[in-house]
Amino acid sequence: MTTDNGQGRPTQAAERFTGHGSEWKPAHLSPGEAATATAWVEQKIDRRSMLTNKDRVKDVRDVMWQLEKDGQIVVHRVTDAHKPVMVKTLYGWDKKIPTNQLWHHKSCGQCGNIPGYPVSLLWLQNKLGISYLDETDQTSCTAWNYHGSGIGNIESLAAVFLRNFHQAYVSGKAQGLDPGHFYPLVHCGTSFGNYKEVRQYLMLSAKLRESVTKILGKLGRLVDGKLLIPEEVVHYSEWLHVMRRDIQKHQVIDCAQVRATIHPACHVYKMVPEDVIYDDDVLDGNRVAVSTGLVQTLGAQVIDYKTWYDCCGFGFRHIISEREFTRSFAIDRKIKVAVEEAKSDVMIGHDTGCITTLDKNQWISKAQAGNDGKGYELPVMADCQFAALVCGADPYRIVQTHWHASPIENLLDKLGIDWRTKKVEFEAYLATIQKGATPDQLYDPRLRITSGPGFKPIKREVIPPPPGSDALMP
Amino acid sequence: MADGSASRVQDFIGDPVSEKPVVPRAKLEAIFQDIQADLRFDHQLNGCLNCGICTATCPAAHYYDFSPREIVQLLWTENLEGIYDAMQEKIWSCAQCYTCAARCPFENSPGGLIMLMREVAIKHQMQSAKDVLRPFSRVMLKLISTGNQLAPDMINPQHFPDWGPNISKVDAPLKLLRKAIPMATLNTTETAWEVNLKTSVELYTIWEMTGVLDQLEGIDENLFDVITDIMGEKREDWKDFLKDQED
Repeated sequence: MTTDNGQGRPTQAAERFTGHGSEWKPAHLSPGEAATATAWVEQKIDRRSMLTNKDRVKDVRDVMWQLEKDGQIVVHRVTDAHKPVMVKTLYGWDKKIPTNQLWHHKSCGQCGNIPGYPVSLLWLQNKLGISYLDETDQTSCTAWNYHGSGIGNIESLAAVFLRNFHQAYVSGKAQGLDPGHFYPLVHCGTSFGNYKEVRQYLMLSAKLRESVTKILGKLGRLVDGKLLIPEEVVHYSEWLHVMRRDIQKHQVIDCAQVRATIHPACHVYKMVPEDVIYDDDVLDGNRVAVSTGLVQTLGAQVIDYKTWYDCCGFGFRHIISEREFTRSFAIDRKIKVAVEEAKSDVMIGHDTGCITTLDKNQWISKAQAGNDGKGYELPVMADCQFAALVCGADPYRIVQTHWHASPIENLLDKLGIDWRTKKVEFEAYLATIQKGATPDQLYDPRLRITSGPGFKPIKREVIPPPPGSDALMP
Repeated sequence: MADGSASRVQDFIGDPVSEKPVVPRAKLEAIFQDIQADLRFDHQLNGCLNCGICTATCPAAHYYDFSPREIVQLLWTENLEGIYDAMQEKIWSCAQCYTCAARCPFENSPGGLIMLMREVAIKHQMQSAKDVLRPFSRVMLKLISTGNQLAPDMINPQHFPDWGPNISKVDAPLKLLRKAIPMATLNTTETAWEVNLKTSVELYTIWEMTGVLDQLEGIDENLFDVITDIMGEKREDWKDFLKDQED
């Protein structure tokens, strides 16, 4: 049985740590001595040196441009029409973030389980008068399944990537627009990491390009007989980052009293880390800039915490079939630290699996030994949901907080949002829909079908809803 | 005993005190060759000094008898029996966060290498893969037959009792809650978003042409049969639609 000496460590008489040899002896350091002993390690970990002190790193986009020059591929460019904003990535390389004419590449986990996540993003884009397309002709990236089960392979991942991005390229045709009009904006962090990794292998392997060219050819998804490769793979959090000051202009709720912890998503910044945005103005460039930069710009206090680098415990397979691991890791390494050390009011993330894991796995902490049935409670939401809330979005109709299991209401109270009244209003709204009223929409629903059953080939104009008080369709 | 060739692989493979049957060397070699044959292998394994940074930062190592350093060492030293043993259980512990890859001074990707081993475990129809993947069949069925990995109707208290009573804080039927989402593509319950018929048929073609359906058949024949039936019907629907367009 493990006992505690009050410093969070087992006593000598207690069961020892596992994994050490019999020669291992405890050092009995005081907290001060322990801090001195680990200061160097923490300093190194806090810096980006573990990511940047590497050889052989090359910009795969150089290979991409050469392949296009050699006539082997076509590159879907980020053009001036996409109103790009240039940012710096880990090594100081430039990355072009398109901000307009966006093709929403949705996340199955967000749409299925946290619908307020994409709704908040589109609502913010309506607020800013951004043109976009949300359509039905897209699949999941299939990477959650792949990382969880091993069913799939590099060819299938590459073919799915190329199929979806080709559809983004041609999607404007349904509205009489030129190829390349819309640029894909990837919602899911795992899709983002997976697509970037797959793009690397496509650029480096002629054999892979040859095999997927046959597949894409059969699907009718080549451009001039060639593979279409995106100039940039762009995550929605990057769009939020470059638009953060524009979003701030719509802010109506002060959040200066909110203590926010950020959970950076592994597949956003640990997969293909050289493509991730770092900004010297955001925590001195020691953390990935997305989400943190937005939350700081909106005026909340970003609180650092010791396990910021840890994953959430999602595990892909684990959240389905090894839940003891998922919930233990989520509670012990993230939620507990954010609550006890950072005194956090909210944890903000930018990926599907993380938000799901951290949001849903709190109730069970009541069963954890030593908690006396109390558990840990921390509101968890995505960066765009937080931004939408402080810009005045309805917590139910837009932010859809009722799909969250964590105590979002505590945060709403802190922000001064009368959620009880809003909830009653939402329930009344549901009753009207049940009686046959047409639900509000963020865009013209006819635009969602671009081919196949249900599509009517009429020329349509892209008219985003005018920026208004609720950013919904009239 | 070494066989005298340049290979570091030992002739004798097997634990002399174990009662487990010795795995034929030819089988072990075939498994390792399949792992090595993946085009990602040489990108993901560059060397290893046993520094252990990967294991120190690994979430799964906190909870399981699992070490990404060990996995890399087994592959680097071509320890065929160790690789086979790791594929029985250990490789399924990895949480696929890629923290190890981000940290490795050699730019190895232990998480990526584990994916190659998982794929090969499936290809060789290892019992461990069948056991581990049984709870994943719902996701596979949804993904292959619809193009979505997850759907609202998969999230319910019966499947996730440890998530507590607050999965939905507004007491209303799922269909009504979905209808109230102001994105028209999300007014669905059986898929995360409304998926175009052409899209799911195209995805199925990808599964076919990349050997994914063969993987599935080897691991779960019943699930394979269900999926091929569903997708056969969808293909017919698509053909009918195209024919109607011609008419």
